[in-house]
Amino acid sequence: MIKRQQQIRRALALLALLAFGFIGLGFRLVDLQVWRHDELAKLAEKNSEQKIWQLAKRGDVLDANGNLLATSVPVKTVWANPLLIGNQQAVVARALAPLLQMNEGDLYQRLLPRVWKNPKGETATNQYVVLQRKVSEGTWQKIYSTMTNLSLTADEIKMSKTERANYKVFSRNLRQYAVSAEQDQSRVYPNGALAAHVLGFVESRDTTNHSSELFGCDGIEKSFDSKLAGASGWRVTGVDSRNRELVAMRDEDVDARDGLTVVLTIDSVVQNIVESELAKAMKEHEPVSITGIVTRPRTGEILAMASLPDFNPNDLRTINTNTEPNLAISHVMEPGSTFKTIVISGALNEHVVSLNDTVFCENGLFHYGGITLHESESHHFGNLTVEQVLQKSSNIGASKIGIKLQAPKLYDYMTDFGLGAFTGIPLPGEASAKNYVRPADKWGKYSIVQIPMGQGVAVTRLQMAMAVSAIANDGVLMRPMLVKRLQDPDGNVVQQYEPQAVRHVISEATAKEMVEALKTAVSDDGTAPLARIANYTVAGKTGTAQKVVNGTYSNDRFVVSFIGFFPADDPQICISIVMDSPKEGGRAFGGALCGPVFSKIGAACASYLNIPPDQNSQQPNPPPLVAKTQNLR
Amino acid sequence: MAKNRNSQSASIRFGPALAALFACFVIAGAAVGYVWQKGEIYRLGKQIRDRESRLAQLQSDDKRLADQLALLHSPMALDRRVQGLKLGLAPAHPMQVVRLPEPVLGSLENKNSVLKFAARPVESTTQ
Repeated sequence: MIKRQQQIRRALALLALLAFGFIGLGFRLVDLQVWRHDELAKLAEKNSEQKIWQLAKRGDVLDANGNLLATSVPVKTVWANPLLIGNQQAVVARALAPLLQMNEGDLYQRLLPRVWKNPKGETATNQYVVLQRKVSEGTWQKIYSTMTNLSLTADEIKMSKTERANYKVFSRNLRQYAVSAEQDQSRVYPNGALAAHVLGFVESRDTTNHSSELFGCDGIEKSFDSKLAGASGWRVTGVDSRNRELVAMRDEDVDARDGLTVVLTIDSVVQNIVESELAKAMKEHEPVSITGIVTRPRTGEILAMASLPDFNPNDLRTINTNTEPNLAISHVMEPGSTFKTIVISGALNEHVVSLNDTVFCENGLFHYGGITLHESESHHFGNLTVEQVLQKSSNIGASKIGIKLQAPKLYDYMTDFGLGAFTGIPLPGEASAKNYVRPADKWGKYSIVQIPMGQGVAVTRLQMAMAVSAIANDGVLMRPMLVKRLQDPDGNVVQQYEPQAVRHVISEATAKEMVEALKTAVSDDGTAPLARIANYTVAGKTGTAQKVVNGTYSNDRFVVSFIGFFPADDPQICISIVMDSPKEGGRAFGGALCGPVFSKIGAACASYLNIPPDQNSQQPNPPPLVAKTQNLR
Repeated sequence: MAKNRNSQSASIRFGPALAALFACFVIAGAAVGYVWQKGEIYRLGKQIRDRESRLAQLQSDDKRLADQLALLHSPMALDRRVQGLKLGLAPAHPMQVVRLPEPVLGSLENKNSVLKFAARPVESTTQ
């Protein structure tokens, strides 16, 4: 009986034990599956699932003929997990430093494991250390091969069996997983500095998904950044214990959408011609800067736009405050005598004067409102026709025509020609010069004699080039066109841009009269005989503007320019050349310095663009520079 | 005549044995099939991964070569090459270019020039 009771007690005790055990297990089950479900589910997901980002290739930039101006090439970002390197930093650093082109000591420091407390108070380690960015595919293959065949310093013979087994796992992890690479891309400009100010440049910034992305900082790269960038793709997938993707466990799989290709109106050959000639002029005349713009007057297409000094977008170290600005659009200047084209266009259009009307040019001294305008010695003219005022670039003649036109009308024509407003070119950093083109009611007492000769008003080089292009285009001002179309990576057109007329500024008849007058500027008696192009009739206007230094007009620092187009009666291209402060100082004139540059660029462009000559016989060579220098304004 | 019960009970009952054997085969087959299928999934997954990697590599090479070709075709590269080779090539002078005006189709039809060309004697074209 006692024995039976003892048996029952033991059975109950066992039952209680089992019950406690089951209750404990049940509690743990509820703890894991219910209370800590979310936390543990995330952990489990993290261990077995991975989100792989797919990089979108940044779109190319092409010129009008499909030549590559900017492209992206795939490269690698090489990174290391110092926790897998153990105490082998010296070996790894010695092996990889030459391949990564890094200092061995710096690399050693980067490979050291570090532990710290993050803001949440949790312990964090450096499991992702970027060693080098923009590593080529070939270099990465060498790095991978070096790591796979790495000779470690540990002596396996002295190790116990367990230590040897652990060491085997460690060495395998080090060789295979300690140094890895991620897809990245690098921006390449195959032609170096060609059209650098139009293209701009890119920089890269880190993203949250362990990769970097390129973003445009200037030029087309900036203004079309959203179109060029594309959209990254991603893939959520299962991974095995060695972090290899399990294709069968792919979940979300979204392909990256590559960026669009931007096709410019820029012609790289014309751009090259312009940049080569500007570089020669820069060397010869040593100006602070020089710019050249080539447009098609009929459409407003920009065939070339260059400023020197420039930079190489492949090498960001060449970019500084001197080289970065695109002077053609971002800097304002007093236009000087090229502005007379606007005054006289307005006066002809309003029928205030005609080309044959005579203007008395006061023999070089004009008293107005208590001030006296002085012409230079070579410009002491008596009576000149309006056409001759343009031909000889008489300041007093232009002022008198401005007075006849009157300030409100002159202001209207200035704004109608696009001065004081953004041209609408799709480039960042454009200046409108609005503050320098003031309404007539805010003009000073002498503004009406100053402004017609191009003083007391400021414009950008592009605004002035487009204004003269409007005269060439029968009086219609066009919006400058820099982008022809956007296309997808397969070449399908996504968006086509068409030429846009802004407004009809002057009548066709007035424009034709202006063309006739501007033709005389390149005659032997004009200010720019050196701007002539053999076999083509050129029309254009010189400009020589004194620079304001310390609040007064300098006598030895000038901005000289020439803007012209040809063939004059059926203009195919308009070229603007502007030099800032050439070394000639007080002897610098637009016709003498910019005229030859215009002529060389024009001749080369005419040959390349196959522009039919409008003169059958070869013109005699332009007169020598020395003989006419005094008349060149 | 009485039945021999002993011999009857001792006889082999094939039906249930076959059914059991069949069930075993089905279960074993399903298990082997499952494992084989898993193996295939893994093998094909690896194949897909390798081929995707190869495709990416080829696309990258293609892009690199296309860029290289574009660079060699670029006017600047050609210009540099021409200058480097010193072939004496230069742009044609505008007056050296002979321009033939394109005939307007309407005017040709009016003048029956198509018929005139067609009617030209053979000897005149061979001279």
